[in-house]
Amino acid sequence: MSRYLLAKSSVHQWLSKLLARYTVYVPTERDGQTHWHLLDPRDLEETPDRVAPAQRRIRASEPVKSFMFQPRQRVAGFPEPLPLPESAPRLLLGVKNCDLAALRVHDKILGEGEFKDPFYVSLRESTKLVVADCPAPEQSCFCNLLGLTPFAKEGGDAALSVIDGDWIFEVGQTGQELVDTAPELFTRLAGETTETKKRDEERSAAVAALNMTNARPWNPDLPGAIAAKLADDSFWRKHAKTCVECYGCLMGCPTCYCFLLYDQAKEKGLDRTRVWDACYEAAYARVGGGANPRAEFIRRFANRFDCKWNQFKRDHGVYSCTGCGRCFKACMGKIDIRTVLGEL
Amino acid sequence: MDETPNIRTFVLKPEQEIPFLAGQFVELTVPGFGEAPFTPSSSHFRRETFEMTIMKVGRATGALFSLQPGDVVGARGPFGTPYPLQRFEGKDIYIVGGGVGLAPLRALFLALTHEPDKYGRIFLRYGARTPQDIVYRSLIPEWQKIPKVDLDLSVDVSDEKWMKRVGVVTCLMDDIPCDEKKSIAVVCGPPIMMKFVNQRLVDAGFQAENIYLSMETNMSCGVGQCRHCRLGPYLTCKDGPVLTWAQIKDIENPFV
Ligand SMILES: Cc1cc2nc3c(=O)[nH]c(=O)nc-3n(C[C@H](O)[C@H](O)[C@H](O)COP(=O)(O)OP(=O)(O)OC[C@H]3O[C@@H](n4cnc5c(N)ncnc54)[C@H](O)[C@@H]3O)c2cc1C
Ligand code: SF4
Ligand code: SF4
Ligand code: SF4
Ligand code: FES
Repeated sequence: MSRYLLAKSSVHQWLSKLLARYTVYVPTERDGQTHWHLLDPRDLEETPDRVAPAQRRIRASEPVKSFMFQPRQRVAGFPEPLPLPESAPRLLLGVKNCDLAALRVHDKILGEGEFKDPFYVSLRESTKLVVADCPAPEQSCFCNLLGLTPFAKEGGDAALSVIDGDWIFEVGQTGQELVDTAPELFTRLAGETTETKKRDEERSAAVAALNMTNARPWNPDLPGAIAAKLADDSFWRKHAKTCVECYGCLMGCPTCYCFLLYDQAKEKGLDRTRVWDACYEAAYARVGGGANPRAEFIRRFANRFDCKWNQFKRDHGVYSCTGCGRCFKACMGKIDIRTVLGEL
Repeated sequence: MDETPNIRTFVLKPEQEIPFLAGQFVELTVPGFGEAPFTPSSSHFRRETFEMTIMKVGRATGALFSLQPGDVVGARGPFGTPYPLQRFEGKDIYIVGGGVGLAPLRALFLALTHEPDKYGRIFLRYGARTPQDIVYRSLIPEWQKIPKVDLDLSVDVSDEKWMKRVGVVTCLMDDIPCDEKKSIAVVCGPPIMMKFVNQRLVDAGFQAENIYLSMETNMSCGVGQCRHCRLGPYLTCKDGPVLTWAQIKDIENPFV
């Protein structure tokens, strides 16, 4: 692990060097939220200070899965088979730790095991990830309840902290090539410096803020508590009361990975496409002939909790949730899952 | 071949052999209409061609019925976990089927009778709605002649020519001629039938880990990724489609 400082005045120079080698995405601020933005050389000329401030904000509105597990992906063709995917090098500069954890969920399902998904693997492997600290967690953030910190402790190719406009990097082996695009711009830091001290203070403050917002720990046996409540309709009915079944909470969730395959006839042969699916959808579990084990919405509502905070944890040792807060920020019914999970 | 007015057995000749074992399933694509899971109903000891017995219920199955001999379909598989035949060795096997549910059971039945010395007696109990709804009608008389096989049928609604039992399939289970404590039971059929047959088997004394149930769930990927098929802690496309009663008895309403 090496530590580098990139001075405020060199940031744009570095970004333009990166653009020569990678397709670069950065968070930018729009309407008070952060959104992923495809970095264009013109961004660097016209609005020189567009990139840095957004790095200090919380995760983008769009879930990071969109980059690897695309909302719509052609996965097979007949009679001409699809060529194996090849992707150009990409850089996501400013991922947050909750999103990094979410990618680990997708890795388990699509990137490992007997049936690796070649589309996911190709996009994942060609993407470098720089994980930026969250010095200012918002009310919707609760990564702490999932055992995560608002900065990267491990994983990703590099960790970034923006301190007084200067960029401080912790770079692992796989991230060294990012520094090597313009080594003359980076100063190697050894040991403690004023910048790293300030960074550590900010990190502790962010952790403290999260612990304050989300002070009450969950039931230590959340999976067991959910299993015990599964058949208790009154509990789920109470919490689902304002749900309008828009599926925003599932589409925006960085860990949800359910998908549906569908075929379209071509003039000769067919195309098979994979699209994101949502377990709140009425036909999700319906079988041929019309029988449906979750015909009632209340059962589908409970099923989401069973899936993410019970079954996934039992199967894979982690929750299929990283505390990013996107689901209830998107929710028209203002259903905050912390309230639901907190009552278990 | 038409088995009943809405059930047909299709013979498929794969370009590349699909190394399925009894109990596993294949995802079949009807070009332009979609993909759906079906279990081969023929013996896994012969795979140059294989058969699937399919009921017409909706979009993909409907399209399948309008295909002509020689038409091309897509197939991927095999997926799922086969019947653990090794566990069945030396034991009596009590098979109960309902409707088109006899299809996957036929693959099992043919695997068992292919190596009869390995297993004890084989009981087959089958119920259909009416005599016209019985699948494999022309094969059943042959099956009855196989040594060690004991076969009985019932229909819910009879006609004047019907000589056997009338009633739902559990009426054939009043007295079970094998040692319930040690025997294996295998069930496939519509959910409501599975529910009552399973209850009857449990009451009769079959051990929960010896009752094998074919669970039908919605499936999309077949390989454990899309999560459509989740039944409690199981993904039926990987852990199933056959699960034991011991595995699913704590799941709320498994038969829907
Ligand atoms: C492991 C397994 C083995 C099986 N083996 C057999 C067998 O041997 N023989 C047999 O007859 N059956 C078998 N089945 C049942 C068979 O898979 C179903 O009958 C078949 O899927 C029905 O397909 P369909 O398109 O005709 O039915 P439909 O009712 O039209 O559709 C079935 C599914 O597709 C979805 N769907 C339908 N239309 C749409 C749409 N427009 N958009 C999105 N989704 C849609 C539905 O929600 C439903 O989940 C098996 C099932 C499983 C799980
Ligand atoms: S949940 Fe945590 S890691 Fe995610 S944006 Fe908020 S503070 Fe950052
Ligand atoms: S369930 Fe909600 S908080 Fe958890 S990862 Fe998904 S969107 Fe984020
Ligand atoms: S976002 Fe809210 S209203 Fe929409 S489906 Fe989810 S819980 Fe229901
Ligand atoms: S069918 Fe996709 S996970 Fe089982």
